[in-house]
Amino acid sequence: MGGKVTCTLGEVKNRADLIIYWGGNPADCHPLHFSRYTLNAKGKHVPQGRKGRTMVLVDVRETPSVRFSDIFLQVRPGKDFEVVTTLRALLKNRPVDEARVAETGLTLEQLQNLVDRMKNARFGVLFFGMGLTMTRGKHMNSAAVLTLVAELNAFTKFVSMPMRGHGNVTGADVVMRWTTGFPFGVNLSRGYPRFNPGEFSTIDVLVRGDNDAALILGADPGATMPQPAIDHLARIPTIVLDPKLTHTSRLARVHITTATTGISAPGTAYRMDEIPLPLKPILKSPYPTDEEVIRRIYEKVKVKPAWSPAAYAKVPCA
Amino acid sequence: MITLSLKEEPPVPLEAEALSPDVVATLRYDEICALPMFLGKRQCRVDDHFVVEGEASDELEIRGDAGRVKWIGRGMTRGRLRIVGNAGMHLGAYMKGGTIEVTGSAGDWAGAEMSGGLIRIGGNAGGQIGAAYRGSRTGMTDGTILIEGSAGLEVGMRMKRGTIAIKGSVKDFAGLEMKGGTLIVGGAELRTGAWMTRGTIVSLTRIPLLPTFAYSGTCNPTFLRLYARQLGTCGFSVPCDASAGAYLLYTGDTAVSDKGEILAWQPHAS
Amino acid sequence: MLRISGGRVYDPANGIQGEVKDICIADGRIVNDVQGAAVRTIPASGMVVFPGGVDVHTHVAGAALNFARGMTPENHRAAAKFIHSPLLRAGTGGITPTTFATGYLYAGMGYTTVNEAAVPILSARHTHEELRDTPIVDKSSCVLMANNEILLDLFEEGETERARDVLAWLIWAAKGYGVKAVNPGGVAAWKWGKDAKVLSDPVHGYGKVTPAIIIAQLAAIVDHLRLPHPLHIHCNNLGVPGNVSTTLETMRVLEGHRAHMAHLQFHAYGGDDWTTLRSEAAAVAEYFNAHPNLTADAGAILFGNSVTITADGPWQHLLYQLTGRKWGNLDVENETGCGIVPYVYKGSNVVNAVQWAVGLELLLLIDDPWRIFLTTDHPNGACFWRYPEVIHLLMDASFRRECLRKLPSRALKRIVLPDVDREYTLSEIATITSAGPARALGMPRKGHLGPGADADVTIYNESPDRGLMFRHPRYVLKGGEVVVEEGDIRKVVDGRELIVRPAYDENIEEYLRPLFEQYYTVAFENYPVEQERLEGADIRELG
Repeated sequence: MGGKVTCTLGEVKNRADLIIYWGGNPADCHPLHFSRYTLNAKGKHVPQGRKGRTMVLVDVRETPSVRFSDIFLQVRPGKDFEVVTTLRALLKNRPVDEARVAETGLTLEQLQNLVDRMKNARFGVLFFGMGLTMTRGKHMNSAAVLTLVAELNAFTKFVSMPMRGHGNVTGADVVMRWTTGFPFGVNLSRGYPRFNPGEFSTIDVLVRGDNDAALILGADPGATMPQPAIDHLARIPTIVLDPKLTHTSRLARVHITTATTGISAPGTAYRMDEIPLPLKPILKSPYPTDEEVIRRIYEKVKVKPAWSPAAYAKVPCA
Repeated sequence: MITLSLKEEPPVPLEAEALSPDVVATLRYDEICALPMFLGKRQCRVDDHFVVEGEASDELEIRGDAGRVKWIGRGMTRGRLRIVGNAGMHLGAYMKGGTIEVTGSAGDWAGAEMSGGLIRIGGNAGGQIGAAYRGSRTGMTDGTILIEGSAGLEVGMRMKRGTIAIKGSVKDFAGLEMKGGTLIVGGAELRTGAWMTRGTIVSLTRIPLLPTFAYSGTCNPTFLRLYARQLGTCGFSVPCDASAGAYLLYTGDTAVSDKGEILAWQPHAS
Repeated sequence: MLRISGGRVYDPANGIQGEVKDICIADGRIVNDVQGAAVRTIPASGMVVFPGGVDVHTHVAGAALNFARGMTPENHRAAAKFIHSPLLRAGTGGITPTTFATGYLYAGMGYTTVNEAAVPILSARHTHEELRDTPIVDKSSCVLMANNEILLDLFEEGETERARDVLAWLIWAAKGYGVKAVNPGGVAAWKWGKDAKVLSDPVHGYGKVTPAIIIAQLAAIVDHLRLPHPLHIHCNNLGVPGNVSTTLETMRVLEGHRAHMAHLQFHAYGGDDWTTLRSEAAAVAEYFNAHPNLTADAGAILFGNSVTITADGPWQHLLYQLTGRKWGNLDVENETGCGIVPYVYKGSNVVNAVQWAVGLELLLLIDDPWRIFLTTDHPNGACFWRYPEVIHLLMDASFRRECLRKLPSRALKRIVLPDVDREYTLSEIATITSAGPARALGMPRKGHLGPGADADVTIYNESPDRGLMFRHPRYVLKGGEVVVEEGDIRKVVDGRELIVRPAYDENIEEYLRPLFEQYYTVAFENYPVEQERLEGADIRELG
C-alpha cells in the first residue's frame, strides 16, 4: 500500500522498451516529451529509438497522441480504477468477472494481452496524466497505477511517473516537503505543519469558505477552479503575484506585477521527475521578483505582534 | 451536566479538541470557560464562542450549529457527549470509549482511527467515517458508528474491527482496503470494497461491483442475525429472514485477496 | 570572546582526558587565552566539556530523504512539533525531520557537523538547497560514484587515468566532499531489475567490470586525489544473512588503501537465511582490528519505527516484498538509484534482536575508538536524535544486560553481546562521537578543542544517567556562539558547507560533453552546481 516506483527521464530514454501513457495527450500537452525523453529518443540501450519501443495509449477518447501509439485502448470514462484493479488481479493470475470487465469498454482479452506485454517488457514505464488523476476516483486512480507498477517489479523492471501540469508545481511540492514534511494541502495555523488533503487542499478550503484571505502565487485558480471556489476568492481579500494579469487578478483586491521567473528572475525549477534545473535570467525586468515581494511583505508582517500567545510562551526573546 | 451553547457560527473553522468529557469532567466552571480553542490561527477561549452553563460532569452537551467546529470529542475515553445540532470534521477521532450523539449531521473523518465507544449521528455524515488518516495503515480498530442518513467517500477505509452501520447510501470506495470488521450500508455508489483483504460489507440493496469480486452463491449467515438483533435495539433493521430473501455473496478483492466479503440483500420475488 | 571556565574537558585529539581546564574562544575559534572586560564567562565547574559532535554518516537532505518525507505523513503526525516563533521555523521532528528541525535537533543534542552520505550528482543542486535550509550545523556530503555508468564504462575499458579526471570533475560538479560507493555495480544492475551479489562476477551489462574492480579503482582514485575523506563504502549484500563473507572480501580488496566502511552493522551477519541469521561481529571486528587502513561507523539499530532509505535499490525491493508495506524507488539516470521502505524494528523479532546486538558488538569489539564511530545510519537503523540511547548502552554494561534479558532467548544464542563486559569511558565517547569522525573526515578544525579549532563545544551536566546527560546538553556552542542553553535553542546561526575541489585536467569536459548529450536529459551546462549558490562555503582546493 502506497509509495511510488519511479526514475528520472534519462532512465526512460536509455532503457524503456514499453511506454504506456494513461489519461494524457502528450502529443499536444507535452510536445517535447516524445523526442527528448521517450518514444523517439535514441538511448544507450535503445539505440534504434522508436523502433526499439512499443507505445500503449490508454484514454477515454481518440486524441492526436493515438497516431503515435502502437496500441490504443479506449476505456469508458470513469472506469480507469476498475481497469487497473483488474490488471492487478490478472498480474497474479486471480479470477475476474468477465462481464464486469466488459463494462469498462475493454475486453478481458485486451487486458490480459496488456498484462503479458507488461510482464515481458525489459524496462516498462507508465506515464499517467490528468485524465486519470482528476477524474472520478482521483487520488485512488493514482494509487492504483502506482501500486500496479510496484507489483510489476516482481516480474520485471517497471516504473511510473505522473505527467504534471503547468508551472513549477513539482518544485512547490519538493520545497513543501523539506520545509513542512508534506507535499501539499498543508495547514500552518496551529504554528506547525499539518496535512490533510480534502480538508486543507486549496479547492476544498475555498469551496467551504474556510479562509478569510488568499495570497496567490504562480497559479491562476480563477481560470481553473470550480465556480464556488472562484466566488469565495472574489468575496475575500485576494492578492495575486503574477507577471501578467490573470483571471484571478480580475477578481482580486490587489495584483502585484512581478518579474517572470526564468526570463527575468533567477531560481530553480524542478522537472516532472524532480530534477532541479537552474533558471538563468536573460532579460532585466522593471518589476520585482516574487521572492523580493514576499520578503518585503514578510518584513512588514514580522513586526506585528505574535498571533499565538501560547506558541510563544516557551521561547524567550532573541 | 455542562452545556455549551454556540454564540454564532464561527467565520472560519474553530478547532476545539478540548470539548471532550475527559477534559471538562474535573474542571471548575471558570477553568472550562478558559479552555483553549483555535479560531483559524488565533488562540481563544471556550467562552469567547460558547455560553457555558452547568457544573463539572462527564456529560457534555453542545448546542447550536457546530458544523465548523472541528475535533469535538477527540480521543475521548468516557462519558457522554451530546450535540444538539451539527458537528464539524474529526468528531470523535481517536475515540477510545464513551458515547457521542449528534442530532444533526457530522463532517468528514468522524470516528477516524477510533478504538472504542459509540458514535450516533442523526443526520448525514461526510466521508472517511471510521477511516485511517492519510498514510496510516489502520482505520478504526473497535467501537460502533451508527448513521441515520447517508455518508460520503471512503467510509470505513482500512478499518480493522468494529461496526459501522449507515441507513442511507454511501458514495464511492466504501470499505476501501478494509482489513476486518463489519460495514453495513443501505446502498452504495461505485467501487465498494475496493482492495479489501478481510472483513464484511453488507448492503441492503444491490450495488455495482468491481470486476475483481467473484460471486460465490447466496446465504443467510448466522452472524448477521446477531447483528440484526443488536442493531434492532438501536432502530436499525437488517433483513435476515430467509423466507423474505437471501444475500448474494461476493468474495474479493481478487486484486489483493479472496477473504473479503460483500453481501447484498435480494428479497424473494413476490 | 568567551571563556568556559572550570569544566572537565575531554579532548581526545589533544590527549586531554577529563582535566579541569578553561576553554577560551575568540572570533569563532578556540584560542589559548582571552583577556579583558568583554569576555563572557560560562561557569562550567561540575560539567563535562566535549568538542561538538560530528556525524560521519547520516541522511538529512536531498531527493531520497525528501521522497521519504512525502511518503510518510503518518510519521509526521506522530512526530515532535516545531512551532513557528520569531526564532524558529515551523517543522516536524520524528523519523525524517524537516530541514530546519534537523538543524535544531542536531544542535540540541550537541552535534555541530554532519556528513550527508549519499548525493546523486544529477540532483546535488537539490541537496544543497536543503542543506542551506538546515541551520546551525556545518555540512559536508559524499557523492555517489560506484554505479556511475560513465565511470563504469571507463573501468571496463581500463581507462584509469581518465576515470580519475572524471571523478574529480564530478566531485566538483556536485560540490561534494567525499566519494560514496553504494552496493558497487548492484545499483547499475538494478536498472535491469538485477543485483550484484558476488564481488568477482561481472556486473550485469558489463563484460569485465566486477564490484571488486569498482571498489579497488575508486579507493585508488580517492587516495591518488588525496581527498580528505577516504572512500566511503556501503558494501554489497547489505542486510542479507551470510553477508559477512562479502564484507570481509570487500575489506581484503581495500588492502593498501584507506576506506571507511559505512553502517557496518548491516554487513556483519552469518547464517544462510532469515531463520538462521546470526551475528558475525566478532569475525568482522577481528579482521578490522588488524587492518588500520580502515575506519567504520556502527549503523546501530534501535527498536522502534524507522524509514529505510538507501541507494541500494535491489535491497529495498526485497524489503518491500518482506514487509508488504510502502515502497518508494527512484532510479537516477546513469548514476544511481534509491529505495525507501518504512520499517519497524521489534525487540520480539529474532532477526531485529540480532541486528540490535550486532551494532553494539561492533562498537564494543573493535578496540580502537579512533576507527569506529557512533551512527545509526539515520534514519535507517534509528533516528539520529536517539544517539544518547546508544551511548547509554555503551557506557553501562548492567543496563545492557537488562536490555538483553528482554530479547527472545533464540536470539541470545546467535550473538556474543552477553559475553562482552566492556564499558565506554567519557573519553572514548568523545572519540567515537567527535574526534574520531572528524579525523576520518579529514576536517582539521573539527572534533577537538586545541587552538585554531572551530569553537564548536558541547557542555553537559555530568549525570550517572548517561542517556539523560547526553540527551540534554547544558550548553552548545557553534562557532563560538551559544546556540543551545538548558535544552532550548537560543540562537540560530547558519551552518556552512564544506566542499573539496580536487585537481583535474580541464579538457575532461570535452570528453564528457558528447557523452552527456547522448545519455543524459539535462544540458551539460546545467549539470554542475553553480558555486555562487553556496554562500559562505568553505572550499578546500587540492593540489
